[in-house]
This record gives sequence, C-alpha cells and structure tokens, in this order.
Amino acid sequence: MRVTQGCFSFLPDLTDEQIAAQVQYCLDKGWAVNIEFTDDPHPRNTYWDMWGLPMFDLRDAAGIMKELADCRRVYGDRYIRISGFDSGHGWESVRISFIVNRPREEPGFRLDRSEAAGRNLRYATHSYAADRPEGERYADQ
Amino acid sequence: MTQAQEQISETPLQTIDLRHEFADLGIGDVLDQLDSELIGLKPVKTRIREIASLLLVERIRQKMALATTFPTLHMSFTGNPGTGKTTVALRMAGILHKLGFVRRGHVISVTRDDLVGQYIGHTAPKTKEILKKAMGGVLFIDEAYYLYRPENERDYGQEAIEILLQIMEAQREDLVVILAGYGDRMEKFFQSNPGFRSRIAHHIDFPDYSDGELLWIAELMLQQQNYRFSPEAREAFTRYIGIRKEQPLFSNARSIRNALDRIRLRQANRIVAKLDRTLTADDVMSIEAGDVLASRVFAKGAGEGR
Amino acid sequence: MNIQQSMTVRGKDRYKSGVMEYKRMGYWEPNYEPKDTDVIALFRVTPQDGVDPTEACAAVAGESSTATWTVVWTDRLTAAEKYRAKCYRVDPVPNSPGSYFAYIAYDLDLFEPGSISNLTASIIGNVFGFKPLKALRLEDMRLPVAYVKTFQGPATGIVVERERLDKFGRPLLGATVKPKLGLSGRNYGRVVYEALKGGLDFTKDDENINSQPFMHWRERFLYCMEAVNRAQAATGEIKGTYLNVTAATMEDMYERAEFAHELGSNIVMIDLVIGYTAIQSMAKWARKNDMILHLHRAGHSTYTRQRSHGVSFRLIAKWMRLAGVDHIHAGTVVGKLEGDPNTTRGYYDICREDFNPMQLEHGVFFDQNWASLNKLMPVASGGIHAGQMHQLLDLLGEDVVLQFGGGTIGHPRGIQAGATANRVALEAMILARNEGRDYVHEGPEILAKAAQTCTPLREALDVWKDVTFNYESTDAPDFVPTPSMAV
Ligand SMILES: Nc1ncnc2c1ncn2[C@@H]1O[C@H](COP(=O)(O)OP(=O)(O)O)[C@@H](O)[C@H]1O
Ligand SMILES: [Mg+2]
Repeated sequence: MRVTQGCFSFLPDLTDEQIAAQVQYCLDKGWAVNIEFTDDPHPRNTYWDMWGLPMFDLRDAAGIMKELADCRRVYGDRYIRISGFDSGHGWESVRISFIVNRPREEPGFRLDRSEAAGRNLRYATHSYAADRPEGERYADQ
Repeated sequence: MTQAQEQISETPLQTIDLRHEFADLGIGDVLDQLDSELIGLKPVKTRIREIASLLLVERIRQKMALATTFPTLHMSFTGNPGTGKTTVALRMAGILHKLGFVRRGHVISVTRDDLVGQYIGHTAPKTKEILKKAMGGVLFIDEAYYLYRPENERDYGQEAIEILLQIMEAQREDLVVILAGYGDRMEKFFQSNPGFRSRIAHHIDFPDYSDGELLWIAELMLQQQNYRFSPEAREAFTRYIGIRKEQPLFSNARSIRNALDRIRLRQANRIVAKLDRTLTADDVMSIEAGDVLASRVFAKGAGEGR
Repeated sequence: MNIQQSMTVRGKDRYKSGVMEYKRMGYWEPNYEPKDTDVIALFRVTPQDGVDPTEACAAVAGESSTATWTVVWTDRLTAAEKYRAKCYRVDPVPNSPGSYFAYIAYDLDLFEPGSISNLTASIIGNVFGFKPLKALRLEDMRLPVAYVKTFQGPATGIVVERERLDKFGRPLLGATVKPKLGLSGRNYGRVVYEALKGGLDFTKDDENINSQPFMHWRERFLYCMEAVNRAQAATGEIKGTYLNVTAATMEDMYERAEFAHELGSNIVMIDLVIGYTAIQSMAKWARKNDMILHLHRAGHSTYTRQRSHGVSFRLIAKWMRLAGVDHIHAGTVVGKLEGDPNTTRGYYDICREDFNPMQLEHGVFFDQNWASLNKLMPVASGGIHAGQMHQLLDLLGEDVVLQFGGGTIGHPRGIQAGATANRVALEAMILARNEGRDYVHEGPEILAKAAQTCTPLREALDVWKDVTFNYESTDAPDFVPTPSMAV
C-alpha cells in the first residue's frame, strides 16, 4: 500500500529537484522548514521525530537539502516528511507538509473492529509496522 | 541549480550578442555603482572588472555548452581594516547574483565566534547553521585566520575549518566563501592550511588609502548625509587625517566614518547652545572648523582618536 | 439629501401626539458620526414612487429600531436618543435609478450579546415588509469588535481543522453522495468508501438527506463510519464524512449528533434552514465535542439572490462566522450555482481573513475586524470538475473544500477513479504553483502532463472537457459590474 498523507502522495515520488523547489517556496514565504521521520505512520501519530530543530531564517533550499540527505543516510528506511511552519498571527501552524522518503515496503494498517451494543462497532487502526519494536520496523529492507 | 546551469539544459546556442547579454544582466550598473560609490581602490576595481568579464564569458560558454565544470568562485580579500573589504563583498555578491553564479545574492558576514563553539559537539552544528543561512549567497568570514589556533592542539576551530573546506568543495554551486583579513596574517593562515589556498580562485588585495583619498571619502560620506565642510573645516580635517593616521587603532575609512559621527554631534551641540535665533538650511548643513578641532586627536599625547 | 442637515424636531413638539415623519423624529441624522461600538448596516432602499428617499431611509432606521407608525409618549421614559437607529448617509445606487444606499448606525445596547437571532430580529425583523418601500435589501454590516467578542465563532476553525486532519497546503477535497435521495444505508456507505479510498478527504450528505423511508439516519451513520474507518486504514490518512444531523427538533438533532460522536465521526453537518438559534446551539455542542461543524446554506437563495430585495449572502457569511460553524458553502464562480467572481471573493474574504478592508468592487462596504475569531472554511460545491483545477485554485485559494460530487461519482471508470483524478489534478496544480509556474495559464498543460501517469485523470479530462456554466450573474457588485466568469 501507499500511505497518502501529505500534499503530494498521489504524484510519483518527488525528485530532489522538485523537493528543493517546494522547500524554496516555503523559504520565500518566510516559513521555518522542519524535517521529521518516523517508523510508525499511523494517521493519528502527530509527533514524528525531528531531525534537529526547525530551520529558521534560511534563504536557499540547498541547506535543507543537505540536511535531508544526511537524514536519509541515517533513516532512509523510514518515512521522512518536510513541513513549512508559519509563525504569522492567525496561523501559527504548519502550512504545508509532504512525504519525501518512504520505506521500500509499506506494510500499511489493519482495521480492528470490536462489536459494541446494538449494531455499533468500535474501530481501531493498527500499524503493522508497530508490531515490531521501535528501530527494527523496516530493518530487513 | 543556478540560473547559469539551467541554461545548459537548453539547446546550445551558436552565437550570442555580447552587448545585449551585458546590458540584459545589468552588471554594468553594479560596476558603475562600485566606481562611483567607492573612492580610490583602483587595483581592486580592476580585479573585479576582470572577474566579472571572466564570469560573463563563462556564462556564455555555458550557454554554448562549452563549459565543463562549475567554476570555483571562493575569494580572499586582504587588507587593513576599513579598506572596503566588506563593502566590496556586498557588491561582489550582487555581481555574482546578476550573472547567475549564486541564486539569492545575500551576504552572511561572520567571525570565528559565529562558527566555533565552546565545548565538544558545539562547533559542527554552529558552523552548519551558518552555512545553511549562507546557502544561495556569499559567506564572508572576517579575520578568517582566527579560525586556526595552532598553539592550542584541541582547538575547535579545526573542526569548523574541516566542515568549511568540505562544503567549499562539494557545494560550490550553492555557496561562495570570501575570507578576509590582514594580508600578512592571511598569508600565514594559507601556509598552514593549504586546503584553503587551493580552493580560493581569486585573491584581491586592498591597499591603504592615501590622505587625499581619505579626505575625499569624508566629503562623500558628508554629502550622502547632506552635510559639508566649510573651507576652514576642510583644512582642519586634512590635519586631522595626518595626525590620526599615526595613532594606534587607525582603520582607514572606518576611522573617518567614526570621526564624522562625532563631528556631527559637536556641530549639533554648537547649534543648540544658542537657542535664540532663526536657522537656515545652510546653518544645519555646515560643519565648521571648531567642530573638527575640538577632537582630542589634536590634544598632545592623546590616545585613540576621541 | 442635498441639504445635509438634521430635520429632527427638538423640545416639547417632538412628543406631541400624532403622526410625524421619520426623518423629523430623529432617524435621519446626517451629521452623526458612527461610534466604534456602533453596529452599522447598509441597506439598498427602493422607495415606492413618490416617497421621499430620505424619509424612506429614515423609516428603515426607525422600523429596525425604536419607532412605530405614530409618536408614543412612552419614549420619554427611555434614553430614546441613544436607542434610535440613525440613518446618517444616503447615496443613490450607481446605475440604478430609484434605489438608494442607506447607512444606518445602531447603538450596541440594542443587541443581546452573542445572539444572531436577536441581531437579525432587529435588523431584518419587520422592516422588509414595510409598505412605503418597493424593495429593501441588506447589503452589508459593520460589526464592532465589542460585539464580535461576544460570539464563540467557528467551533474548530481552519487552522485546527487542518491540524486534526493532518492536511496542509492544499484545498481539501470532498464529494456529495449522489443520487441525493433513494440510496439505502448499505449502498450509501459504498459510495463513501469508494470516494474516500480513491483520494478524497471528505464525503458529504446532501441537505435533504435526513431520515427517510429509504434510509433511516442510524443506518446511514453506521455504514458511513464503517466506510470512513476502512478508507482510513487503506490509505493511512484521516478521512471524514459530514453526517447531516438536521432534524425536526433540537432534541432529535442532539441525539443524532451524539450518535455520530459515539461512532467516532470527526464532523457533523446542519442545514441553514434549522434557524440561527439551532445553529448556535450546534456550534456550542461542536466545540464541546471536538467536532467540526459543516453548514449547508440550504434555502439561502430565496432571499440572497435578487439584487433588489432580501439579504446579501455576505451577511449570511458574517453571521455564520459569528454563530460558530466551521464550513459554509460560499460559491464556486465556475460551477453551476450563482456566483459573480468579485462578489464571491468578498464572501471568501469574510470567511477567512482576520481583517476585511472596505472593498467596494468585491461588495465589501465596511472595514471589518474579526478580532481573532476563528477562520471559517468556505466550501465550493456544484458543477465543478478536475479540468477546472487551475481556475478553482486561482479564484478560491488554498483554504477551501472543493466538492466534486458529479465530478467524482460520474467518472466513467467508477468512484475511486473519479476521486483519484481529482486528487492528482489538485496535487499537480499545487506542485506547479509552488514551483512558481504560471499555473493559471499553463493549467491545461499541467493537467495533461499529470494525466500521462494517471489514466483516471485523463478520462476525467476527456469526459468533462466542454462543461461550463456561463450565465449572467444576478448579484454582481454595483461598483464594478462584471458578468459571471466565462470559462
Ligand atoms: N573606498 C571607499 N569609499 C567610500 N567609503 C568607503 C570606502 N571604503 C570603505 N568605506 C566605508 O568605510 C566603512 C568601512 O568599510 P568596510 O567595507 O567595512 O571595510 P573593511 O571590511 O575592509 O574593514 C564603511 O562604512 C564603508 O562604507
Ligand atoms: Mg569589515
């Protein structure tokens, strides 16, 4: 399966040149750019691990692309995403976010149902990846 | 990718109208601005014109698909303080930007303390942070030789140097580094760090200004702020320059700027001391001899130019 | 109007029994300077033939505040001068002989804090049936910060909605389940699943899907939530479906909303026809229950569409932002429903900005400060398709839900393919826009390029390539008249 979180998951994986253009878009808007990675892409997993602090005050995407390359070297077997953060009043939040790296195999999710009163069901989304301990989830790739 | 590189991907051009290309890029304006805003500096201006021509041709060669590699553009600017190195670095960034050899054209100006940390593990992130900020523009490292402290074997400066060298080589397209400082110390620095010397394409030496040039610079600075010397004040300032140059911590045009700041203060004090009168524009523009002569530089045995 | 001076009768004579002109009773005060705390309303007044325009406008001020048809002595038991609405400016409407813009100021004490019902009962309560007027339309209102601050505002708001959904940097995509009526719960859920799995973020009940013989509401809710959860697990992305909780009574609506909440839905929906009080109640409920609240503007066209009489939709948008809904249908410009581009831009600004500067060419007559009230997500729905993506992005921006109902479900290769076509078109357009391309002009090429690696998009572009809705707009701004966008 393919996790379709983020802004560009329905397009073919972005090339580095395309990623750099999106990063430059963020910088030109004055947003801070953040690189995050995870081995549990559960849709409600908000806090991916940060690759260093969000990068403020940069002018050119090259610096971020260098960090991305470094992050991929260490965590290339996981999901990595880039986000642009706007500290402007009324936003103070993420303004764009997109996946820039995926594990080779994406195991996806199981939907667990448990029957409740009447015809009600309780649902739980279960990451197959999380069946393994943290850090070993995509180890055999 | 820089603009210059993008051109390569298009079909190579056979002919190029040179005048058109030159005018289109607007580097003529930057060069003219350099000429008119900076007094003297003849050899520097000549070198910059040469570099601009070299890069213009390089750009044309890229368009014709004749260029093979991205040129090395790192530079060293040597000279005493206040000889215009920082100012010229800003202009240089503009020229590189117009020619498409840096993408944004900003200058990040740093010294050792911005790059080198205080404890283990502190330096790499600091240096990388600065490098990231400078990407797409020019990194200007003033008094670069302080990065290297051979007397301290475990100096963290070495770590910053290694990162810098690596980026200067690997990301030539993303960043231009200009190292600046006193000529003799830079020379020693390059001797102990041959890696830097080999990565520097252009060395430019900034001479000290003559007395006449310093006066001229003073008049230019005043004119930019709508002030002017009275004839007596000009004469006094000429004497000021002669004395000040022989005193410690003289730093060329910067000392001139500082002296003028203090002279403007004294002028204002003089004007406000007599409240009961009507002022003309002339009165508030004019610097009088007394404003200059009150400087401690004229007092015998005075130290720094107060 | 040439003589810009007060005609108000002062002293003892003012309260002599009998009938007196409104403009002499204190409802026409051309020298009045509105206070920062006043509510200001702008009406388009079309008096009956022979009625003095100033008198007609003063009457509107009177009838929407303290006046009745005759002088009453009981006014003298009140601070009547404060409570009288004051018409302070009357301008002829450009290119529209016989109609006048009346600016009327109302003291803040005339209104109950935080009540749209009370506000509207005054401003549009009686006065629209007033006989001396041929027609009357409320065009805009300036709501003072002091009053704005008494309202909850959108329960969730654009920023938190995006954070909850983990979707940033692009419009959200939705679709209304079709056919509107007749599907059983089980079949209905199928449409929801296919659309969400194919790439949409939301699906939506239509305004008249409540609880009918072919599908009772609990069936719909149960099957829809199965579909949402299945699609979420299949994509790893948060999904939602607007469960319409509109019902006959407040008790019924709460019951349905509670059930949606119990099933884990992140959004519920109501129709404008339930009324302002019910809307505000649901907004409070939504805030309390972490629920996004979608409003369908069902019924609004009965009073918003004609330029001469009724209420402009920009007021509905303002009132709904105060009332606290999170989504509101605000027009598409290019789709099948009424919407002049400039007027629509005005609606979108009202929903999304923290400050609206006066902009007559967008039909925005006053500066409006929203005092950090949450932003309201506009929804564009009705007759739009993937081939218009560049225009939609250009006209409507990024903070909007684009609802492709027919444009998803009508896809020749099925609902999933339709959803995928829309999502790919959208992502390709955002990518190109952010790269700095002239996406508005290169739109068709960008879509064609994206279609090279996405067959569903190619099919969608082929099927709907010639669909447009080009009709003259019935509600263009008075100051720069423009026809509906020709696409
Ligand atoms: N040739 C010149 N003409 C006019 N002003 C100059 C000139 N050289 C330097 N200045 C002025 O002197 C000050 C110091 O110059 P700067 O470029 O910082 O010198 P450096 O970097 O060599 O220490 C600046 O205010 C600059 O504008
Ligand atoms: Mg300097």
